[in-house]
Amino acid sequence: MPISTVFEGIRVADFAWVGVGPLVSKYLADHGAEVIRIESSVRPEPLRRAPPFVNDEPGLDNSGYYADFNSSKRCVSLNLQHPDGVAIAKRIIAECDIVTESFTPKAMRAWGMTYEDLCEIRPDLIMISMPMYGLTGPWAMWQGYGHVLQAAAGISHLTAYPGEEPIGTGVAYTDFLVPHFAASALLAALDHRQRTGEGQNIDFGQMEAAIHATETMVLDYTVNGREQEALGAGHADHAPYGTYQCAARGDDDDRWIAITVTNGAELTALARVAGQQSWTSMDAAALDAAIGEWTRTQQAEELMERLQNAGVPAGVVQTPEDLRNDPQLAHRGHFWMLDHPTMGHRAYDAPSFRLSETPAELTKAAPLLGEDNEYVYKDIVGMSDEEYVEHLVSGAFD
Amino acid sequence: MTTTTAAGPLAPFRVIDLTNELGQLAGRMLGDLGAEVIKLEPPGGDESRFIGPFRGDVVDPEHSLHWWTFNNNKLSATLDLTTPRGQELFGLLLDQADFLVETCPPDAAAALGLGVEAIRSSHPGLVHTSITPFGRDGPYANWKATDLVGTAMGGLSSLCGAPGRPPIRPTASQGYTQASAQAVVGTLIAHYQRTRTGQGQHVDQSMQEAVTFTHDNAMPTWDIRGVNNGRPGNGREIGGYKSGQYVYEAADGYVAALSYGGLFGLSARQTIDWLDHHGMAEDLTSDEWLAKLDATQGILIPPAGEDGDHLNDVLVKFCKRFTRAQLVSEAQQIRNGWGIVHTPKDLLENEHLAARDYWVEIEHEEAHVTYPGPWAKLSKTPLSVRHRAPHIGEHNDYVYGDLLELTDDAMTQLSDDGVI
Repeated sequence: MPISTVFEGIRVADFAWVGVGPLVSKYLADHGAEVIRIESSVRPEPLRRAPPFVNDEPGLDNSGYYADFNSSKRCVSLNLQHPDGVAIAKRIIAECDIVTESFTPKAMRAWGMTYEDLCEIRPDLIMISMPMYGLTGPWAMWQGYGHVLQAAAGISHLTAYPGEEPIGTGVAYTDFLVPHFAASALLAALDHRQRTGEGQNIDFGQMEAAIHATETMVLDYTVNGREQEALGAGHADHAPYGTYQCAARGDDDDRWIAITVTNGAELTALARVAGQQSWTSMDAAALDAAIGEWTRTQQAEELMERLQNAGVPAGVVQTPEDLRNDPQLAHRGHFWMLDHPTMGHRAYDAPSFRLSETPAELTKAAPLLGEDNEYVYKDIVGMSDEEYVEHLVSGAFD
Repeated sequence: MTTTTAAGPLAPFRVIDLTNELGQLAGRMLGDLGAEVIKLEPPGGDESRFIGPFRGDVVDPEHSLHWWTFNNNKLSATLDLTTPRGQELFGLLLDQADFLVETCPPDAAAALGLGVEAIRSSHPGLVHTSITPFGRDGPYANWKATDLVGTAMGGLSSLCGAPGRPPIRPTASQGYTQASAQAVVGTLIAHYQRTRTGQGQHVDQSMQEAVTFTHDNAMPTWDIRGVNNGRPGNGREIGGYKSGQYVYEAADGYVAALSYGGLFGLSARQTIDWLDHHGMAEDLTSDEWLAKLDATQGILIPPAGEDGDHLNDVLVKFCKRFTRAQLVSEAQQIRNGWGIVHTPKDLLENEHLAARDYWVEIEHEEAHVTYPGPWAKLSKTPLSVRHRAPHIGEHNDYVYGDLLELTDDAMTQLSDDGVI
């Protein structure tokens, strides 16, 4: 079993929360960095309070939402509002190569933990701040969530049924988009430090990265003056290109297949599979309706196989249940089963790429809140037993 | 064309880019980070030059806005990889490259000299990244996928759209975007390892698996509760629990008015004061309602239902009365993380992005064109948008003359033979 040691010796103080920050540090942790989540029971990481909970019992160490984003990490509890909190945080940072955070900019300023402050402790530090709208500018202090940021970045404008309200994706989309940009910037900065010894600060405005996911939306406006509109499942240049309802599976009537055609050969192949030669000369709306009628009689998985074997790009609209049973994801080992002290044997997502020599290794399930206090405060920071107990009793580790 | 020297963190490195629309953003991100990216095109021009929209809606391989968007910061050299001489030149180029990023279908890779083992043995120091629909091997490896097939098979479309209606996708291709952006992360992890050891490796990126990353909480929800999150329409779903509406119509467009926690958000009382200030709180100022809202503060997503419907009705009426800017700036003052649903025009006119100098002007022969600017601000090694997308073979002289030191005669011969 190959063990990933890419980031062996790299230590990260992870102050970030919810999606964007933890998903950036997860890349590092799953490839061997020692990532220390710094959290507090006084103001818990919101995802620890978010469902799904095992047995539907809310609990800070019982959220699957939190767990999935925090594999392979350590966690200390530290109350930054406590009089000793910031000083202790700085002692952790002094032992770290990277600091990550995703608060609005006032938080780190109030604690005296801006990049400039922390450089005095650790001159070669790399710090990445990932607020919604960046560290500067008139909206810098604005709060938000991934559902809102997909709207602010223009993605919701392009995610709707034609002519209807901009509903956006059903997920907090930018939380699962901008971490890749942030991680890329951070990794490039880390490589620069490895080669030159120089650390730096990264001001990562989530909206600015998310706009890069709007394809030609910006240039169509700046060059052609056209505001692109949402097309449902459709495509501006290709038809048929949509999702079509299939036969029920058991009592599940919500089965769909995506069928897309991008050239004449694929259209011919589609018509052949359906046994409908007239489809190659039908107008787009009639063809769309005919396909929908046909797929209603077809089992989604079987139809996908037949279309793919004929060379038509098609795929089942897979549900979470389908993903867990997907043979391709299984072949790639996407889901890892890890044992958590309170949540039990649970599935975690691995990174979506496979490195041939140093693949990701999810070394452990998500940490309990404060699970690594003794190790971090004593072994890394160097507190004596007496000092540790003193802080514990005073509430600094709440 | 304007060129400024790259100051980005990857400035010392060279990338060979053999990507189609599935992976073009990956090469561009490496270019944004400062690397020299050489896009290799077949002699007639890359197929993605024919993807619309086009400048002025006139089809022209030099005027594809798709090409412009995803190929700025790149150089172009033409090369016919299907010829023996083309293969030889490709090998010489890889000798001088640090990264290879390609989107070759797995069943065509060996014939084009893009087999994983072949490249590893000839160029052990190279980081070789493959971006394919389903990955380089496995039962679906040779299946075809467009963006919609990627968002469907990766699970995003099942979470996108309204109940009882067809699943949809973001019209701007997110399967391609996710595959490209995640491939860059994998590429840079491999690169970091190479900086330590000198050894390259293969990075196998699957679009389907990249899309799977976007499930939000849907996978643990299935794992733990045995419930599939579904298509929430104008709402959201966490842990299998549906919440109410969050996109509201304002006087001049839409706002995303997401509240987090409790029936009316963590700032419920302040929100009611705010509505009351505008005379639109209706009965929400009553003791009965305040008690109800306080009682749900600890619950992240309370069930919708009559109470939720009533709060929604109040908000629907309230939002319609005001502009988006007024609603969102006032909401932010009471720590409600609302945002504006921006159209393209809104974004280009946005004061915040302007204040952060986000947009960049790039010179084309035809015009100066405004592009999105760097996606991160690095204090010591800044990202940059240095120049427009290249014309077909615009940098053949540099690539074959300067880098490979071919003579003019040799280059003319290659051109006559249709190799470059």
